[in-house]
Amino acid sequence: MKKATLSRRSFLKLVGGAAAAGATVGAMPVAAKKVGEHFEPYVVPPEEALPGKATWYATTCRMCAAGCGIMVRTINGRAKKIEGNPSYPLNDGKTCARGQAGLQALYNPDRLRNAVKQNGRESRIFEPLHWETALSSLMDKIEAADPANIIFFGGVMADNLYYVTSRWLEAIGAPPPLQYDLHAALEGRATSAKAAKKLFGTMQQPIYDIANADVIFSFGANFVETWMSPVSYSRAYSKFRGQTGGRGYLVQFEPRMSATAATADQWVPIRPGMDGLVALALGKILGGGSFSGMYHNIDIKEIAHASGIELDTLKKMARILANADHPVVVPGGTPAGHSNGYDSYLAIHSLNLILNQLGREGGVYISPNSPAEALEAAPMPNSFADVEALIERMNGGEVEILFVHGANPVFELPQAAAFKEALANVPYIVSFSSFVDETAVQSDLILPDNTYLESWGYQVASSGGDRPAVASQQPIVERMYDTRSTTEVIMALAKEMGGAAAKALPWESEILFMEDMSGSIYGSSLTPYTTKTGKEFWAAFRQHGGWWANKKLSAEPEAVGFKNSPLPVAAPNFDGRAREYPLFLHPYPSVSLSDGRGANLPWLQEAPDPMTTAAWNTWVEMNPQTAHKYGVHDNDVVKIISPNGEIEARVVVYPGIRPDVVAIPVGQGHEDYGRYAQKRGSNPMDLVGTITDPKTGALAWASARVRIERTGRKEKLARLESLHGHGKEELT
Amino acid sequence: MAQVKRRKVPFILLAVFLVTAVLVGGYYSQQSAGASESQPVDYSHKVHIDAGMECLYCHSNAGRSPVAGVPSVQKCIGCHQTIATDNADVQLVTEYWNNNEPIPWERVNKQPDFVYFSHQPHVISGLACEECHGDIGEMDLAAPMEKMDMGWCLDCHEQQHEDIAPHLWDCLVCHK
Repeated sequence: MKKATLSRRSFLKLVGGAAAAGATVGAMPVAAKKVGEHFEPYVVPPEEALPGKATWYATTCRMCAAGCGIMVRTINGRAKKIEGNPSYPLNDGKTCARGQAGLQALYNPDRLRNAVKQNGRESRIFEPLHWETALSSLMDKIEAADPANIIFFGGVMADNLYYVTSRWLEAIGAPPPLQYDLHAALEGRATSAKAAKKLFGTMQQPIYDIANADVIFSFGANFVETWMSPVSYSRAYSKFRGQTGGRGYLVQFEPRMSATAATADQWVPIRPGMDGLVALALGKILGGGSFSGMYHNIDIKEIAHASGIELDTLKKMARILANADHPVVVPGGTPAGHSNGYDSYLAIHSLNLILNQLGREGGVYISPNSPAEALEAAPMPNSFADVEALIERMNGGEVEILFVHGANPVFELPQAAAFKEALANVPYIVSFSSFVDETAVQSDLILPDNTYLESWGYQVASSGGDRPAVASQQPIVERMYDTRSTTEVIMALAKEMGGAAAKALPWESEILFMEDMSGSIYGSSLTPYTTKTGKEFWAAFRQHGGWWANKKLSAEPEAVGFKNSPLPVAAPNFDGRAREYPLFLHPYPSVSLSDGRGANLPWLQEAPDPMTTAAWNTWVEMNPQTAHKYGVHDNDVVKIISPNGEIEARVVVYPGIRPDVVAIPVGQGHEDYGRYAQKRGSNPMDLVGTITDPKTGALAWASARVRIERTGRKEKLARLESLHGHGKEELT
Repeated sequence: MAQVKRRKVPFILLAVFLVTAVLVGGYYSQQSAGASESQPVDYSHKVHIDAGMECLYCHSNAGRSPVAGVPSVQKCIGCHQTIATDNADVQLVTEYWNNNEPIPWERVNKQPDFVYFSHQPHVISGLACEECHGDIGEMDLAAPMEKMDMGWCLDCHEQQHEDIAPHLWDCLVCHK
């Protein structure tokens, strides 16, 4: 007998039809059912909140060191969307992808929700602590320690935090905060500041007026992606392209084609470390004017040969510079990544001098002075040599307490520097990280800071813009968890300690500190808004998102450090012999993950790299010639080996790179740092050695030579672009 | 005979499926109905309206926001720290207040996510609350409207003044 059956297919058909019938009959009144949702109206509604209507608050972005002005849309006390503050002159109402992703730091499921102590370093077993307990145990440690052996390791610190921390450390007799992070190293901040000190007599960051230039020669300044203030420079760049009388001419010198090089009129794939020499050759061809002595012994043929740029090309480029009305030459991140970085900076800046573009429209300015003495920008970051000195002190048992804020040195520093190993000699390590990152895992106590959307602060614009400006930061939402602002923690410690420390930080609260600091600009004639009283100014300062001069006001650099004598540019040093390690390694900051700090935000993980369209992992870019030579293809997993270590990465065959260079984005390869970051990709800093520029102590992060070995494995890399159609999408 | 029997089984199955599906489909297509019997506080609209209160006193955002708003506990307690303090439900509200906790009201009416509905233009144009919400003033617990679907909206939009009616028929008015 045939069994009565209902195939899966007809079952689905039946159900589908019946559901459709049900939907039609649904018009009939039926019994009330639960929507299954609750309203939870406020217990006490905030005065300004109107349920269902958005409220926008102005504050400062902290996703990188630039400090753009942002506006955050909130509904019912929840931050919903970040946009640029249209009034703030640095970013002119714009933000970048990283700025947009700030919400995911606030709502991140891996955030620490209270102070914790770790039961044994690297145990990853954390015990929640009451803040009072945490702070009193910290106080005991501080009181027992020699103040000279208390070190505060910050990334590039927020200005308000630097102010408070440095005053506290000074009062207790500890050294000033050490500011170092990988992003700053990759963009050459320390080298730039030291070159500015020598040439212009100031540690202020030079600002390049690319908006009004007609020709830009950029030596590795990837200003549309990651360099300094990419939003500010991208805005200026759009003006450069949109000006009347031509669209400008951009030449980009770098071994790997970045997004800036891709948008340039000419990309010059220069041999790594040759930036300074090429600048000298250009200067020699230009003649040098009254500074011809700088180019006395330059042999341009030799430089053409060494840099991989043909003599004719060099001459043509010099002609472009000579014919320009407002050319500007920009030293960026790449030249600073070599042992001759400082020399290169001097040589590159000298071109601006001989082109007479210092302090002229479309030329070089100095970051505008702070609007008030009290509101000064934090000093330029320290160099890698300072970190090495710290490592030495740690190994010598001369560091008793190490505070770490806003940096993740265990992840960011080259493995070869052995920072992690040195931490074993520090008896007490305190992290202020909001997340359990690689450095927090080495710490004893974690006092999580609020995320920036829950914090107070201010930031003097120092890496772009055409006028003095200071962005104000205020909490957009109430603290989500039991975290505490580090500024407040330090103020509390100072108060507890009494004496000089308490005197150095006399404010009752962080808010009063902010009010006091911003009040120092009150009464300035340059104010963009008028206020009648100090209180009113304080309200306006927060409401507008800061203060900025109401007119363009650029500081002109004084050319105090140029001499009419030969400029020496040493040949760059590399780690590893060419025969054994035939390729140069070019690590570069990821446009989304930066130096790795963005890796815990899924929006940034999934944002594809603009040049390769790859995401979610680490890849190594190889020229098609090189890939052919090694017999590797897209998605092949290869070993990249340097004298300092080895990592694995998937191959991206990329025509925009010199055949003797391989490029790897920085940012992945986290062991810790939350579910989105960890166990994903590899960290190219494991390949980098500790070669420094002897003149500045900056890390020569592009000085590693590598070789490639096949593993025979293939692992598909997530890429937006189809690889089947050779760049053309196929619709199937 | 045997053949007939074999056919009957799927027909019965089909019938069962159809009836179940009709009920399930009907249940889920009702976007507007909500619970009325299980609110955390046994609140009576009738008592408050009878006492002379206006809808907008509590749902004060209806004229200035997309959402009408459910009053804060502070607003309840503003009156009830002195009025009807011996009532058990008022005491419950006081308890929420003392514990600094919101009252988890059960939602009564809801539009699906793809509908952009705003109270503001409806209230501003002078539409009375009961036109859409029924005679809430006569209800103890708010009962859901049985049907707040597109045809129902359009029935009313259609009857508006000829200057504005065509605009109110535009899909984009509600489906942004």
